[in-house]
Amino acid sequence: MHSDLFQGPTLLLDGAMGTVLQQRGLPPGGRPELLNLTHGALIEDIHRSYLEAGSQVVYANTFGANALKLEGTGHSVEEVVSAAVTLAKRACAPYPGARVALDMGPLGELLEPMGSLTFEQACELFAQVARAGAAAGADLAVIETMTDLYEAKAALLAVKENTSLPVLVTMTFDQGGRTFTGCTVASMAATLEGLGADAIGLNCSLGPDLLAPLLEQLCRSTTLPVIAKPNAGLPDPVDGHYHMSPREFAETLAPCLEAGVSIFGGCCGTTPEYIAALKAALGDRLPAPRTHTPASLVCTPTNPVFLDGVRVIGERINPTGKKRFQQALLEKDLDYILQVGLQQADAGADILDVNVGYPGVDEVDMLPRVVKKLQSALSLPLQLDSSNPDALEAGLRVYNGKAAVNSVNGDRAVLERVLPIVKKYGAAVVGLTLDEGGIPQSAQARFDIAKRILDAALARGIPRQDVWIDCLTLTVSAQQEQAAHTLRAVSMVRSQLGLQTVLGVSNISFGLPNRLLVAQSFLTQALAAGLTLPILNPNQAEMMDAVAAFRVISGEDGESRAYIARFAAQAGASAPAQAAAPAALTVEEAVMRGLAGEAGRLASQALETESELSLVENRLIPALDQVGAQYEQGTLFLPQLMSAAQAAQAVFEAVRARLAQQGAAPVKKGKIIVATVKGDIHDIGKNIVKTILENYGYDVIDLGRDVPPERVAREAEEGQVRLVGLSALMTTTLPAMEQTIRVLRALPHPPVVFVGGAVVTPEYAAHMGADYYAKDARQAVVIAKEILE
Amino acid sequence: MELDLRQALHYLGAGEQVPPALLEQVSHQAGQLQAALRPRYVYRVYDITRTGQGLCLSQAGLVLPGNTAGRMLEECGRAALLACTLGAEYDAMLRTCQARDMAQAVILDACGSAWVEAGCDAAEAELAGLFPGLHRTDRFSPGYGDLPLELQAPLCAALDAQRRIGLTVTPSFLLNPTKSVTAVIGLAAVPQKKRIRGCAYCSMRQTCSLRKRGTTCAL
Repeated sequence: MHSDLFQGPTLLLDGAMGTVLQQRGLPPGGRPELLNLTHGALIEDIHRSYLEAGSQVVYANTFGANALKLEGTGHSVEEVVSAAVTLAKRACAPYPGARVALDMGPLGELLEPMGSLTFEQACELFAQVARAGAAAGADLAVIETMTDLYEAKAALLAVKENTSLPVLVTMTFDQGGRTFTGCTVASMAATLEGLGADAIGLNCSLGPDLLAPLLEQLCRSTTLPVIAKPNAGLPDPVDGHYHMSPREFAETLAPCLEAGVSIFGGCCGTTPEYIAALKAALGDRLPAPRTHTPASLVCTPTNPVFLDGVRVIGERINPTGKKRFQQALLEKDLDYILQVGLQQADAGADILDVNVGYPGVDEVDMLPRVVKKLQSALSLPLQLDSSNPDALEAGLRVYNGKAAVNSVNGDRAVLERVLPIVKKYGAAVVGLTLDEGGIPQSAQARFDIAKRILDAALARGIPRQDVWIDCLTLTVSAQQEQAAHTLRAVSMVRSQLGLQTVLGVSNISFGLPNRLLVAQSFLTQALAAGLTLPILNPNQAEMMDAVAAFRVISGEDGESRAYIARFAAQAGASAPAQAAAPAALTVEEAVMRGLAGEAGRLASQALETESELSLVENRLIPALDQVGAQYEQGTLFLPQLMSAAQAAQAVFEAVRARLAQQGAAPVKKGKIIVATVKGDIHDIGKNIVKTILENYGYDVIDLGRDVPPERVAREAEEGQVRLVGLSALMTTTLPAMEQTIRVLRALPHPPVVFVGGAVVTPEYAAHMGADYYAKDARQAVVIAKEILE
Repeated sequence: MELDLRQALHYLGAGEQVPPALLEQVSHQAGQLQAALRPRYVYRVYDITRTGQGLCLSQAGLVLPGNTAGRMLEECGRAALLACTLGAEYDAMLRTCQARDMAQAVILDACGSAWVEAGCDAAEAELAGLFPGLHRTDRFSPGYGDLPLELQAPLCAALDAQRRIGLTVTPSFLLNPTKSVTAVIGLAAVPQKKRIRGCAYCSMRQTCSLRKRGTTCAL
């Protein structure tokens, strides 16, 4: 921490810039940051009025001074930031100890997966501002009004990697205790403290009355100084004025001292009068001492997983021994990997281990891609599992939240290589109790390595609650006496060091009959010995049953609520399912009725006696055609069409699994690229087309949304793809569609192009030079059959 | 605030005879959605001045050009700007749903459209409460008639929509989060007739299956 900044018991920031500008008669609209160039004296005077009111830190007028927002203004980031910081410094000169903060607000466009701006682009945009601010002589950096934890992370990394300025981060929450993107206070605190912010807090959105409970929560969730910079209440929809008076604002905010808040200021609606009132209300009162130890957790923005009981780590995202998964990795089939994640989430996993190490796979490229894909649709925290430190760093960098790393061990070289990465990104780390000498045979020796790992982590500044120890499960049929040593080591680490403990449970039972029973028994004994983080396959109900039962016995599951609900749900689910599935159901019927589970099971059965090709061509496709015809007639609706498509997907999955098992190449009827064109972000229509095409057996390469023409052309050329489908929703993105078609036409081997989407008409499709117009997904299938078969 | 199931079913192309299984799925999704999140909205009322370029909302620093705004606000002395969104949380929910089950995703998409409309209705009801003596025009949005889509950016800036409700505008003038609506509502001293209806005005126009079959729901 930069002690001189936080020397006093409290620190007073400034109030709003925009509110004062309006008060002084500046018209709305335009970029307020340009006023640094055109109305320098006015900006300087506003800073001075805040200093006069008692502000010890003023925010330079750089909130939106990033390259995205300044585009088209004719002014560079460097020019605007330098002018702004210079003005603020000039205002500060007569006030000893006054500081200038470089102010960084949201970029104005949403980051992936919500928007198209990539994490890396966001980092670079913020880095440019940070470098300019440091060069201009800012004393500290402030990142504020963030609602997306990912964007806050990008900004924080940018400041820390490009400057040595202390950095304050404040985010904007609503009354329900979440930001607009669903981020929780606990997730914010854990992530930003881990990434090395110097102080964190809340600004904007609410008045001090509504912010107070969230500030209390934040004080309990972090060891850092806490900032409160609320609005002057809520704005009036008719005149735009904020409703709280300076005195009311100050008297409502000052009591937050008692929660431990030590840095104060104002946001929208506040003026120098509010800061003066706040200074008076704070007087020389001291903030309450912060004695609370924050809970230990890993998180995504929306889902903090507190480590105060048994938390299950799902092990299925791992290619070892799984042919289908290996195939998915080699084909970069991220959708499949996401499915494996979703299944484990549904089965009750709390955290997912992610391992993509396989010969032929570039982990440094693949791990971040898989992390992004999983986080686009799943809220479980991830444990990145790799022996490649570069891959770990690449994965941690793009991870949104606080992750865990699997793993380090007692080997000094490994510790020195991996721990700095763990520290930089604020992750938790699994330490395996082995070293250069191999796996020690005694519990005591494993405990000693655990201590060594803990000491090394503490020396690097990694807090003890973020060190998880794996005492290693060995196969009981091979080294029978080792099971007892493992259990004893777990117990020692838990009771003597108080650390979280990890064990890969299923290894125990290799080579024995009824493996599940052995694994389940070992799990129960390990939990009793102090295991908190079992790594297992959550799809095995018996293992999750054992965890559920343990949570009852340990008291973690209060009044056995979760346990009772688990078995009530199981009882409820099995009875009607049997009633609904008559014995004589065929694959065709299952597909037409949209019964995915049945369709998959019947397909596997059918494949015992029937070839893959015959099942697909003679049974599946005719069934899909029939469903499609009913949809066309309007006797069946889109959701039912999609259900049938998904049941067909289950049939294909059975076919794929069988082919992977036999080591045969997957049956593919031909490749089709689908993409939503540059500038367009609405892609559900394209996704519907993709689902239907896949379920006719086509190999669909989905380039996503907002795809530049050049990328479509490159993928088409490289993959030798003969058919490309493009979608666009808005009239404003039709030119991008036309441009994409033009680029594709210019290729040496131009593919056939079909287009669709709300604003596309057959006439316009022809005008743009498309070969086909598809009014819906069914039409796309007709086109694909014509071109590819 | 309540999600209109009938509206969601219409968006799915299921008009009169809704299969009971579909109705159950839609009402289940609607229930989940309403429990998970509520539309956020922000609106503000401005005076209208008439200039050469069009109607001017000077406190917003905004001009509404063209015939559509001229006709819609003909008798209005004031107009409200409204922005309403289901937020990034809805988009996350829809992404998850698409990965899990496209059939459910299609239903959630329709429910989302109905839910954001319910948010607009709630905002409009609040507005009506603030001006009991005045009459409101229909809501109309950038992209409707000749009101340019480019207006999304200054409209959202005037409402400070990113800070207030987390709503942004992309460089191609699309609203993000995706299930969002911006609108203008005129306030007049005399009763206003219904002027607009139909697909151009509908937030489901991109996926409406009725429309693709060449019919409309006549909502």
